[in-house]
Amino acid sequence: MFSAIRVASRSAASARTFRKAIPVARAPWSTGFVRTLVTKRYTQDHEAVIFDDSTGVGVVSITDYAQSSLGDVVFVELPTVGTEVAQGDQIGAVESVKAASDIYAPISGSVEEVNGELNGQPGLLNKSPEGDGWLCKIKLTDPSEIESLLTEEDYKKHCES
Amino acid sequence: MLRACVFSTWRSHSRKRGLSTAANNTLSPHHSIYVSNSSNPYFNLSLEDWLFRHKNHKEPLLLIYRDVPCVVIGRNQNPWKEVNMVASRTTGVPWIRRRSGGGTVYHDLGNTNFSIHLPRSSFDRHATAQVVLRAVRSLGVDANINDRNDICVGKDKVSGSAYKIVNNRAYHHGTMLISTRLDVLGDLLRSNKPTMETRGVASVRSPVCNLQQYEPSVSHEGFVEAVIDSFRQEYNIEDSTHTVEENVNTLGIDYIHKGMEELPRWDWAFGQTPEFTYNISRTFDWGTVTARIRSKHGIILNCSFELPDGHQSISDDLVQDQSRQLEGQRYGFLDETKEGIQRMMEGPGAEIWQWLKMEMDT
Repeated sequence: MFSAIRVASRSAASARTFRKAIPVARAPWSTGFVRTLVTKRYTQDHEAVIFDDSTGVGVVSITDYAQSSLGDVVFVELPTVGTEVAQGDQIGAVESVKAASDIYAPISGSVEEVNGELNGQPGLLNKSPEGDGWLCKIKLTDPSEIESLLTEEDYKKHCES
Repeated sequence: MLRACVFSTWRSHSRKRGLSTAANNTLSPHHSIYVSNSSNPYFNLSLEDWLFRHKNHKEPLLLIYRDVPCVVIGRNQNPWKEVNMVASRTTGVPWIRRRSGGGTVYHDLGNTNFSIHLPRSSFDRHATAQVVLRAVRSLGVDANINDRNDICVGKDKVSGSAYKIVNNRAYHHGTMLISTRLDVLGDLLRSNKPTMETRGVASVRSPVCNLQQYEPSVSHEGFVEAVIDSFRQEYNIEDSTHTVEENVNTLGIDYIHKGMEELPRWDWAFGQTPEFTYNISRTFDWGTVTARIRSKHGIILNCSFELPDGHQSISDDLVQDQSRQLEGQRYGFLDETKEGIQRMMEGPGAEIWQWLKMEMDT
């Protein structure tokens, strides 16, 4: 859909550091038999993904840092449920007062659900970017892709660079 | 004629000053100050995006350009709501969807665009507006900045601003009305569709004026120099000004080339339109019909009709047929070769179809 943009963001993705997934939280329902790991990773374009390995689904959001530099969000364009997306594809757009920003797919997969609340309340992106203001849920085609994303520590460094 | 004349003045002006030209070698995105000699909006917008994504993200960059007449809408706007399509067609002035946010503006050679790129971490809309404000004041115009970070003289706007933020980079670009044809601007930006309700971003209409109304000596060349001086001072830059030509070398840059191809394509220009509904009514000899068209990303999602009471001249089947035929079609680009359409082209059916087609075309 946005070929030029895609090329640019893919090359950015390939430059990302490859790191082993580190569990950041353990779901309370995990038992001794099923070990559920929830991993949170970031992209250079300021998206965050919370990946649950028991469902294979990643919840995509923009980071708190992203919302703070955008200012008051007035419009959010979300992808359509069922769309197959590749890592780096543009899947949406955010606009704050006169500032446009693009949302790229952090991982490849199919869009399972979008946060319809954002249509009526785009301000949720400012209030709770990584919580109630989540953008969409993507069922990952290749869960190992999550490991190619930035860890929290790497992401912090990226923001400061 | 006038256009060509103004353009050549600037070209000879820049040569006289001995500015370096990228005409004979490959353009580098690593300079700090660029002035485009092209007035092609597709080229200039793509050049801007290329610089935005290729310059070292930590260093400030300034690009200045002018375009031949065109209407430029914001990234998340509805062209049917913002642009007077009839005026655009009759004047031959195209409209273009840009990549930054904000509202709709009009460009011609009497308007000069500035674009200031900075690291996301130090990006501050107010600070970049001040850089341009200082330039305008140095030309003898007592301008100010309003609460939307636009530059005004008195209550009239002379400059509109918009921003783009991606990864660790941000830009603030804006227009500067020096001697723009404000009558043409008004005709093109008046779409008059109060019953079109659109998601996305609506333009905030403001009274505008030209800098020359306040200071007749202000010129494009003078403004360019003033902005460059102000930018150099603000960011301590000593780099010389690089003029950019639209030629084989710059058009050969793959990213620029692809950007120029993408801007006019349906997928970008129309296909990025946020969801909207349009309620319209028309009284025919046989009664009044109300249609409600819902469209998203340039595609008609559905169209429902309200028919006159006790309508005998028109059957429910016909209206359902029309709805079915409209569904999934591109708004404003109805394909009439689709199977079954010719069957409806009689009597009231044809009248409704022609009416909808005309409404989508304005």
